[in-house]
Amino acid sequence: MDTKSFIQKRFSEFYREKASDIEAPRLIEQREFGFLLFKGNVMVRHKSFGTVEALRSFVKQIVPAHAYYSTAYYEAPEEKMENKGWLGADLYFDIDADHIPTECGKIHDRWKCKTCGFTGKGVTPETCPMCGGKTFENKTWPCEVCLESAKSEMVKLVDILVEEFGFSPDEVEVSFSGHRGYHVHVENEVVKELDSVARKEIVDYITGVGLEAALHGVGTRSHVTSSGSSGRGFDNIGWRGRISRGAYKVLSAATEEDLKNLGLKEKAVEKILSNKELILKTWERSGPWQPIGGLSKDALQAIINRAVQNESAKIDTVVTTDIHRLIRLPNSLHGKTGWLKVVFPTSEIERFDPLKNAVAFKKGEAKVYVDEAPRFRLGEELFGPFKHEKVELPMAAAVFLLCKGAAELVE
Amino acid sequence: MVLTRFDLAKYPFVLDAAEEVRRLDLDIGNLENPALKAILDRAENRIEEALRNSPPEVSYRPREEDVEIPSFPVAVILAAASGNDYIKRRYALAEAIRAYKLLQDEDEKKVLEIAKVFNWNIQNVKKIIGHRRYDFALSFTDFLRNAKLFHEMEWKLVNRMLVKGKVYLRQREAARLLQEEIRRRIEERLRSDVRSMLPEPVLRRIDDLKRKYASRIAKAQFQDFPRQVVNEAFPPCIRMLYDAAKSGQHVSHLGRFTLTSFLINIGMKPEKVVDLFRSSSDFNVRIARYQVEHIAGQRGSRTRYKPPRCETLKTHGLCPGPDDLCKTIRRPLSYYGKKTRTLKKEVSAN
Repeated sequence: MDTKSFIQKRFSEFYREKASDIEAPRLIEQREFGFLLFKGNVMVRHKSFGTVEALRSFVKQIVPAHAYYSTAYYEAPEEKMENKGWLGADLYFDIDADHIPTECGKIHDRWKCKTCGFTGKGVTPETCPMCGGKTFENKTWPCEVCLESAKSEMVKLVDILVEEFGFSPDEVEVSFSGHRGYHVHVENEVVKELDSVARKEIVDYITGVGLEAALHGVGTRSHVTSSGSSGRGFDNIGWRGRISRGAYKVLSAATEEDLKNLGLKEKAVEKILSNKELILKTWERSGPWQPIGGLSKDALQAIINRAVQNESAKIDTVVTTDIHRLIRLPNSLHGKTGWLKVVFPTSEIERFDPLKNAVAFKKGEAKVYVDEAPRFRLGEELFGPFKHEKVELPMAAAVFLLCKGAAELVE
Repeated sequence: MVLTRFDLAKYPFVLDAAEEVRRLDLDIGNLENPALKAILDRAENRIEEALRNSPPEVSYRPREEDVEIPSFPVAVILAAASGNDYIKRRYALAEAIRAYKLLQDEDEKKVLEIAKVFNWNIQNVKKIIGHRRYDFALSFTDFLRNAKLFHEMEWKLVNRMLVKGKVYLRQREAARLLQEEIRRRIEERLRSDVRSMLPEPVLRRIDDLKRKYASRIAKAQFQDFPRQVVNEAFPPCIRMLYDAAKSGQHVSHLGRFTLTSFLINIGMKPEKVVDLFRSSSDFNVRIARYQVEHIAGQRGSRTRYKPPRCETLKTHGLCPGPDDLCKTIRRPLSYYGKKTRTLKKEVSAN
């Protein structure tokens, strides 16, 4: 049996037993469904289901590598795009390690230039250093550091959605994507009819794009009034509060190198470091928004900019503004990992362990030949690192390596 | 609180226009009736004020409710009958600006009444947050529907005080957002074709008005783009995308959207745009045609898409760096408009 058929067989067994875990999206009859098949990488789109039972038995029958449904609601989801009749769409956010600078430096990722075949490790460059080509094949790896970074971006996002946008924690649904990131889904009548331009404004709010601190009364004397400007400003709301908390954090943790990285001149760095205690004290006494002694306007602006960068949530901007997007179906398998897309309540974010909670295959073993794989964890168990070796692994680990293209099946 | 006749004279658009005409026994077909002359005169005058004043604005005449209230729906009928987009847009804007000015100094409770007409989720607040005093809290969706196309940085959501789903506003700002809502509502009403229902003398009034302001109307239309596509007038971002597409280099999804919507809007035929992408390695004529026609508004939502703003292009790394003309505009299309006009001048000067 070849590797692909083996994976498909495991997926098939899984769905025979667990397709019943797939739940109906709200207004299932108005959603478009799409499935990527193992065979020939074919996308079956424009499907619709009247009931969740019909959806489940379809999944059992075709055994897709990936299963999706639309954030959009349509009058006629089976029609061609131009005849579907768009009725609205949920608000959806995708946080993927691909879009976040992580501490691991993505050293586990590989890229290959499609033009000249040159390969490299780490973050994919914009242009190939050999030939200047701009398209690449990527092999990514969902490492724990990446997943943690994605999670902390999600925490920031959920906080903004609840505190600023006023959604209740119950209507903000969070999930693990089954690969390298998290999704946040808001189903709410109020946002349903927002067009792409309005959604772009929401994206800019969350990512801090176009933010001008002065418009929040930050960094200019003219805006300062006696009220609300005393204390550390931490209880200020909206971006005003986020900037003050973030800037204080940046300043109090700043080392010489950090400040230089912010683009501050040597003199300014020295002045800040030698006056740090005093600056923080002035801040605590008279508020963050007074020009602070020892901190020039430019330096304050640089620190604010860094604060905005730190406090904003790094979401994939394209996903949220696309009002026809197909998104992964909860409790379905991700064809690149064999892991599940898992929905969980916001109160569980801290405790959620994707490498445990998203594991689907819990029985059996399989023998595989691993080309190369870094050390990884699944559940409580550690595996690897592997290089050019034959190993017998628990099914979840074996399927994961096979799905990732890091291993071949051994008969 | 109920709106009085005094208020209705200020904000006549809150009434159902057809209902109002019926209630007053104003017969559209009988507008030449001498008893209604004062109303008809003022209706015509409202439109004339819109065309004459710059910025367009209809005047406010207190204590003339009997004429002010009914003359509004009649003016709407007249403007609709003009069949001219410039007159319609200009008139809707002029009435909206009139309302904006009145709303700025209006009693706050009345502002809430007007907002309710548009189903706004808005509350009266008296709050000082940080450095500013606020009068109203408006749901962010109502805010976005009206503010999303404003250019100024202070109207970007990210620069607003947003708390628990509410954007905090001062009265002037709430009035400005209502202006948008009012303008859209009037523009919607102007869409109906009423020409055939009007008697000859009334139609003549409209045509006289059109003749009187013909040069203004023509000038506004002259600002449209030239019929031929002028490649030399492309802004740097479009030039980059255009060259990349032509030579078959990879262009991102947003890049393709930007380029396509730009070319469609300056009048390039969809087939020509499709041809442009032919050298792309993943070219598929069926998909490309579908996408281009979708952007052109010939499919799907039927809206013709405009290219993103400069700011958005910058966000997504599609701005190769502004030139001098870029610094005076916020959208690639405005660049093209300005540039074609200067090119034209240069040609005629030679």
